Amino acid sequence: MKENTMIQVDRVSMRFNLGIEKNFSLKQFFIDLFSPKRRKQKKKNSEFWALKDVDFDVKRGEVVGFVGSNGAGKSTLLKVVAGVMKPTKGKVKIGGNICPMIELGAGFDMDLTARENVYLNGSVLGYSREFLDSKFDEIIAFSELQDFLDVPVRNFSSGMVARLAFSIATVVDPEILIVDEILSVGDINFQQKSEKKMRNMIGGGTTVLFVSHSIEQIQKLCDRVIWLEHGQVVKIGKPKEICKEYLEFMKNK
Amino acid sequence: MLKSSYQSIKKYSFLLQQLVSRDFKVKYKRSVLGILWSLLYPILMMTVMAIVFSNVFKFSVPGVNYLVYLLTGLTFFNYFSEASNLAMSSVVGNFSLINKVYIPKYIFPLSKCLFVGINFFLTLIPLYIVILLTGTGVNVFHLLLPYAFLCLFLFTVGIGFILSTISVFMRDMFYIYGIIVMIWTYLTPIMYDISMISPSLQFLFKLNPLYQYINFAREIILFHQCPTLASFVVCGVSALVVFLLGIFVFRKNQDKFIYYV
Repeated sequence: MKENTMIQVDRVSMRFNLGIEKNFSLKQFFIDLFSPKRRKQKKKNSEFWALKDVDFDVKRGEVVGFVGSNGAGKSTLLKVVAGVMKPTKGKVKIGGNICPMIELGAGFDMDLTARENVYLNGSVLGYSREFLDSKFDEIIAFSELQDFLDVPVRNFSSGMVARLAFSIATVVDPEILIVDEILSVGDINFQQKSEKKMRNMIGGGTTVLFVSHSIEQIQKLCDRVIWLEHGQVVKIGKPKEICKEYLEFMKNK
Repeated sequence: MLKSSYQSIKKYSFLLQQLVSRDFKVKYKRSVLGILWSLLYPILMMTVMAIVFSNVFKFSVPGVNYLVYLLTGLTFFNYFSEASNLAMSSVVGNFSLINKVYIPKYIFPLSKCLFVGINFFLTLIPLYIVILLTGTGVNVFHLLLPYAFLCLFLFTVGIGFILSTISVFMRDMFYIYGIIVMIWTYLTPIMYDISMISPSLQFLFKLNPLYQYINFAREIILFHQCPTLASFVVCGVSALVVFLLGIFVFRKNQDKFIYYV
């Protein structure tokens, strides 16, 4: 990997087996066992390539946006880069620590208090105890939940849960930030605050992979845009050109 | 491989600790007696077992206190059955998490085995109370018991890895394993002595690693003897083999888990 390359996606393909659910039961397992021909046929029919030979590099500090219609493979690609999924073919190389903001509040336990969930969710995201100890006040201050620290999260409103989750996820200074849509959660005040925080994180010199359906955001924030369709890269280039072509494509679809 | 596993365990030990303490907190949070249940529950269960087997069925094992005999076996076997059951469902139960962030997946079965381990140590308290009350007494060889605990733990983790892997691909395992554990309970000399089995079959019963661990502990607790060297070797080797087999099966399949979400 070159010195200033942060992410290297090397001919990554990802195959899903849509018919997999049928293989769940013992009965089906035995039926398939005795008719290998049918099994093979079925397997082929239900195969689905979510990503096909996706290949690109991201330099340090670059903000790369992804556009494409629903089901184009954007989120799958982010998950592959974040290490949640291992690609069927190809390789992904990463040059720093990643903060995946794909979904917030992973691992929250509704029976635990806000305080306990900060540590639980933090550990799920890979933070250390020392880090959480030092950032605890900052997290709580940002979430504005000082008065509810020792209340079980099940008694929170959904907005409050989202605020806590957002505050925990964004407390880090990651080298690579993976964003699936800029999130604005909570009430109007908090929405503005969280959106600003995310814009700051994206604009703060870190390497960012950024999926959005808002063309305006993509054009504003990104250095480069990758357009995905049916799991394949259609085009890579300057935000202005790609966005224009993409919009044209969507209109004629 | 060993070095990277060690680094990974070190890095994720905080998460492991959080998951174990979460399970522990959630388990007792909404009950009035809370953590006291950890002690009360085994005491009550042991009392019931003791009454049923020694007074109603009049079971006995020659030369030893039957109550201590029974409870030693039960403590060990209960750890195994509870931990392996929780470990089995831990990966499937955490799919929502596995699908969102990168976490090494072995953390889930391992954390369940550790969590039940806390309960195991708490049940040792009533066990020792019974040992003292019945006049069975303690001896210096009790210091060797942690070896049996360690073997039991490694064996359980290995089985937990295998079960959690199978259950991802075949959810039927949850039901099948319930039956297997029931059969296993009766085939392990917990309530009866192995001498009650016909000598030609005893050999088969001794192949059960759980029997070996329980027997190891009984030698110490009931007979005040140091277990034989052969016993040490059999326990250690069986535990290690199953543990490594579990790791092998789990590692080999863990990347496929995501397709079965």
